Amino acid sequence: MTILQTTLDSPQSQVRVSRRMLLRSSAAVVLGGIALPSARGVAVGQSAPVMSSGPQPKGKVIDCHAHLNHHSRSTWEADDRKLIEAADKLGIDQLCCSTLTPHWPATLDGFRECNQWTADGMRRFPGRVLGYCYVNPGYGREALEEIRRCVEEREFIGIKLYNEYTCTEPVVFPIVELAIELGVPILHHASHSHYFVEDQPHMSDGGHLAELARRYPEAMLICAHISGGGDWEWTIKALRHAPNVLLDTSGSVTDEGMVDTAAAVVGVDRLVFGCDSSMTAGVGKIRGANLSTQDKEKILGGNMMRLLRRRKS
Amino acid sequence: MIVDVNAYLGHFAFRRLRHNTAAALLALMDAKKIDRAVVSSAGAITYRNTQAGNEEVAEEVRGHSDRLIPFAVINPFYAGWQDDLQICHEEFGMTGLRLYPKWHNYQLSSPCSRELVDATTERGMVISIPIRVEDNRQRSWLLNVPDVPLEETVELVKAHPRARFILLNGIGYTGCPLGRKDNGLPSNYAIELSRLSAVLANELGQLITNLGAERVMFGTGMPFNYPDPALVKLEVLDASEADKEKIRSQNAITWLRL
Repeated sequence: MTILQTTLDSPQSQVRVSRRMLLRSSAAVVLGGIALPSARGVAVGQSAPVMSSGPQPKGKVIDCHAHLNHHSRSTWEADDRKLIEAADKLGIDQLCCSTLTPHWPATLDGFRECNQWTADGMRRFPGRVLGYCYVNPGYGREALEEIRRCVEEREFIGIKLYNEYTCTEPVVFPIVELAIELGVPILHHASHSHYFVEDQPHMSDGGHLAELARRYPEAMLICAHISGGGDWEWTIKALRHAPNVLLDTSGSVTDEGMVDTAAAVVGVDRLVFGCDSSMTAGVGKIRGANLSTQDKEKILGGNMMRLLRRRKS
Repeated sequence: MIVDVNAYLGHFAFRRLRHNTAAALLALMDAKKIDRAVVSSAGAITYRNTQAGNEEVAEEVRGHSDRLIPFAVINPFYAGWQDDLQICHEEFGMTGLRLYPKWHNYQLSSPCSRELVDATTERGMVISIPIRVEDNRQRSWLLNVPDVPLEETVELVKAHPRARFILLNGIGYTGCPLGRKDNGLPSNYAIELSRLSAVLANELGQLITNLGAERVMFGTGMPFNYPDPALVKLEVLDASEADKEKIRSQNAITWLRL
């Protein structure tokens, strides 16, 4: 814990030392002995280029699915810091974050405010927090303008869509077309349960995302948290023939064989590591998978890096 | 040494399990440096006659008693459970039980359940209760089995102060008396860590603070779960090495008289 306090509260020189120590003592162990390069993502307090341009070091560990806290939560600032502390402990270099509204459907002001806070988070944790622009597609032109502003002016790396609409509804299509134009991925909330989820009537699942992917084969889609509670075997099978959909391994479920099955069915090149706040579950699943070190490196960050390099602006 | 108080053998009705034979589980334990594991029948979760599952486990662990510690699964509403308990304890050498009140459709507060807890306690056996088997959101279309409400286990530990309980696969203890300091409950229960957070909310750290490291035990849920997430929790846990050692093995050794 001493190391973590130092990481967040001390001068930059100490920060760098602490982070190196963590990477030596923690990440290599926690992530199953995968060799991590010395040039890591930038620690808290350092200025750094964001992910939008320039070459990135090989071997980064990128959490493709993270969240900053809504500011209506009294402890949001401390909780955001805890997220970075957790990433430090677990050897995670960068976290792709969105901020979600506490109630859905999100209002225009609600998601604009969230994106402002995400941008603030990118500044508070430079190089560590990468931003997803969250919108409610129902706001049409305003939603598109918000995405363009976030990606082109604020260096956000992608778009986060939640459960306001099923992803196959036409209202979502302009969002996908803009994502293609900008060359950024869409992380789409998804789950498949064998019952109707009453509080999320417009939930998308792997089947919907596969259908959207067929309509837009040049889109970069990420199916969120395949171990987020739904039937992950169903989801993996539904996405087998959707090559432009990547599967985010995040979620609280740690079922043995989940990552291995996903790798066998869709291939390791389509898996991206994530936690969605279930931090040890996220890391542990990858460590536990019976895959080669090279394959785990792809999942942990290589595949996400490949997506981010396709950015057009 | 690492002792896992939350492991299983056999088949589960709704999902294929790997590493679910004694040989395969031991190989996985070797790979993860887990020395000993408490195992019970995964099949007995859905068998009507759970004793068939206990017999399968007894057969499977034969010759591996140095590493695999068999527990019985008993349904106190099923005919002949008293005979099954006796056989499991005296013939199979099972030193504890796992109870599935929701899967077996009974109340922990029912007279039959209380009778089973008393009979188990008389034998000096430990009672473990998996709060859940799998995430309810991925349930089969055939059934809808809720988690065991923690409030029901509060009443259970209060009603049986001499019994010893290990609560498995649970979360949210700090939101109820079970995980609070000075809660007035007997210290007759321990909490297994496989679903507890070790960072962010850090429920694991809170439980150590509130109850003491003596009341927390290591468990993985393998082969339902990857064992690694639980191992990662121990690695990142902000606790003294002495406390980690208690959680890793010493508490289980004491409770299970290993």
